[in-house]
Amino acid sequence: MTSETAVEIRDLVKDFRSPLRGVKAFRAVDGVSLRIQAGEVYGLIGPNGSGKSTTMKALLGLVAPSSGTCSIFGKDSLKVDSRNDVGFLPENPYFYKHLTGAETLRFYGKLCNLRGKLLENRVTELLELVDLTNARDRRLGGYSKGMLQRIGLAQAMVQDPRLLILDEPTAGVDPIGSRQIRDLIMTLRDRGITVFLCSHLLEQVQEVCDHVGIIFQGKMVKEGRLDDLIAIEDQTEVVMKNASPELMEKIRTLVEQEESATLLRMGKPRTTLERLFLRETQIDKK
Amino acid sequence: MTSQNSKTSNRWLQPRRVTVIAMHTFTQLVRMKVFYFLSVFALIVIAANFLDLPQFNGPEAIGVGELQMLKSTCMGVMKLFAVVFVIAATALLLPKDVEDRTLYTILAKPVPRLDYLVGKIAGVLLLVFVSLLLMDLLMTVVLSFRTNHLLVDQLSWAEARGWTQEAIDSERRDIIAQGPTWSFQGAVFAIFLQSAIIGAVALLLSTFSTSTLFTIILSFLIYLIGHFQADAADYYKATAEAGSNAFTTTMTKLLSLIFPNFQLFNVIDAVIEGIPMTMNAIISLTGLSLFYVVLYTMLSWFVFSDKEF
Repeated sequence: MTSETAVEIRDLVKDFRSPLRGVKAFRAVDGVSLRIQAGEVYGLIGPNGSGKSTTMKALLGLVAPSSGTCSIFGKDSLKVDSRNDVGFLPENPYFYKHLTGAETLRFYGKLCNLRGKLLENRVTELLELVDLTNARDRRLGGYSKGMLQRIGLAQAMVQDPRLLILDEPTAGVDPIGSRQIRDLIMTLRDRGITVFLCSHLLEQVQEVCDHVGIIFQGKMVKEGRLDDLIAIEDQTEVVMKNASPELMEKIRTLVEQEESATLLRMGKPRTTLERLFLRETQIDKK
Repeated sequence: MTSQNSKTSNRWLQPRRVTVIAMHTFTQLVRMKVFYFLSVFALIVIAANFLDLPQFNGPEAIGVGELQMLKSTCMGVMKLFAVVFVIAATALLLPKDVEDRTLYTILAKPVPRLDYLVGKIAGVLLLVFVSLLLMDLLMTVVLSFRTNHLLVDQLSWAEARGWTQEAIDSERRDIIAQGPTWSFQGAVFAIFLQSAIIGAVALLLSTFSTSTLFTIILSFLIYLIGHFQADAADYYKATAEAGSNAFTTTMTKLLSLIFPNFQLFNVIDAVIEGIPMTMNAIISLTGLSLFYVVLYTMLSWFVFSDKEF
C-alpha cells in the first residue's frame, strides 16, 4: 500500500441557498475534513440527509463548496482533469435504457478517450468482472436492479481509475446482488484501487471498509480505522471448534478462579440471516 | 491506462468527445422511434400529390398552382416537424439526464460541461438534418415526377389550343420554376437553419428551467416573437425617433439582438411561390443562424457551468 493521498477534503462547507429572500440557507455539510490514502476502502456512514451524497458530489465537482477544498490525487476537484482518475456510481442510477450493456461501456469509454481494440478489450473484461457477459447485448431497459448497479460499477471502472466513488452501491439490491457487489469491492481493493463509498447499511460497510467516517447533520462526528473504532478494549473473544462440554466447564472454572476476569457469555456463535439466505439460495441453484 | 488518460488533454470542445455525445444523442432519439414520423410525411406527400386544385384561375394556371400547393403542404409539414421536434427534443433531453442521474456519470468523467452541451445540441440538430434530408429527397422525387407529368399535360394542352411558341416557352419556364430547383433545396436548408436557432433557444431555456413544459412553451413563444419582432422593432424605432426616446431605441436594439428575426426566413415562402433564392440570401441566413446558435450556446454554457446537481 502506498502512502499517496487519494482524497483530501478540508473544512468542507456546503450551504444551499433558498431563492426566497429572508429564508435561511440550509447547511448540508458543515466543516467536514477527511483524508483517504491510496488503496484504502473508506466508508462514509450516516442517516439519510446527513450530507453523505453532498460530500461526494463536492468531491466530483457536481456541487461547488461554499468554503473549504476537495482534491483527488492532489488535483482540485473543480477542475476537469481531476476526473481522469475517478469512477463514480451514483445512488439508484438509471443510465440510458436504449443502450445495451456493451454499448453503455463503449459510450463511457469513448468519453474517457478510449478507442478501438483497447476499448473493446476493456468492455469484455469489465462485463466478465461484473458477471454480465451473458447480458452484454441486452438493452438496459430489461436489466434488473442488481444488474444495473453492476453495469454502473463497470462504467465507473471503464478508464481504470485509481479511485472509485460509490454512492449507496447496494441500495435496493437483493442479498445475492448485494454480495456480488461487495465481493467486487473487495476484489478492487486487492487490486490496489481506492474506494470511497457511502451507505447506511452498516453491516456491509463493516465488512468491506478499512476506514470509516460517521457523518451526522452535516458534521463528521467520528472517524478512524474500523478495527480501532469497533474494538471493545476490555473484552476478549475466543472462538473454538468441536469443544466438548467438559472443556467448556474447565474454562468456566478457570475464569471463575481469576478475580479480575468475568465470563460474560458462552454458547454457539450465530450466523447472520444474510449468510443463511445466501447458503440456502446457493443450494437451490444447485 | 490511467497514466495515459492522465496525460490526455481535457481542453474544451475536443471534437472526438463532442462527436461521441452527439452520436449518442442521435442514437437515443432514433431509438425513441422519431423516424416513424417520416412514414407519416411520406403519406402526406403522396396524398398531396393526388389532391386536385379548385380551378379559380383558369386551366392555364393549373400546373403552377398544383406544384405550389404540393410544395406549400410538404414544406409546411417539414417546418412543423423541424420546429416541434427540435424544441421538444432539446427541452426533454437535458432534464431527463438530470432526473435519471445519467448526467452525474457523464460529468464525473473528464468531460467539460461545454462539450456536453455542444454534443447534445449537435446530436439533436444532426437528427433534424438527416430527417429533413430524407424528406427533401422524397419530396424532390415526387416533385420531379409531378413537374414532368404536368409539363407534358400542360404543354400538349397549350399546343392543342394553338398557343404561340413564345407563350408555350413561358408556360414551360413557369412550371419548371415551381419544380425541384436549387432554390427549393436552399429553402429546405433555411428550414434547418431556423430550427437550429430555435433549438439553441430551447437549450438555453432548459439549462435554468426546472420544467420541460415551461421550456417548450417559452421556446414556442420566442419562436412566435421572432416572427413579429422586426415589425415591433420598426414600430418602436419610428416611435422613438419621433419622440427622441433613447431608452426605447436602446431597448429595441437589445431586443432585436436577443430575439432572432425569423421574418428573414420568409424566403421559404417566396421559394414556394417560385421566386428564386440567391446564394447571398443563403450565405447571410447561414451567418445569422451561426451567430444566434453560438450566442445561445455560449449563454447556455454560462448558466450550465455553475449549475449544481
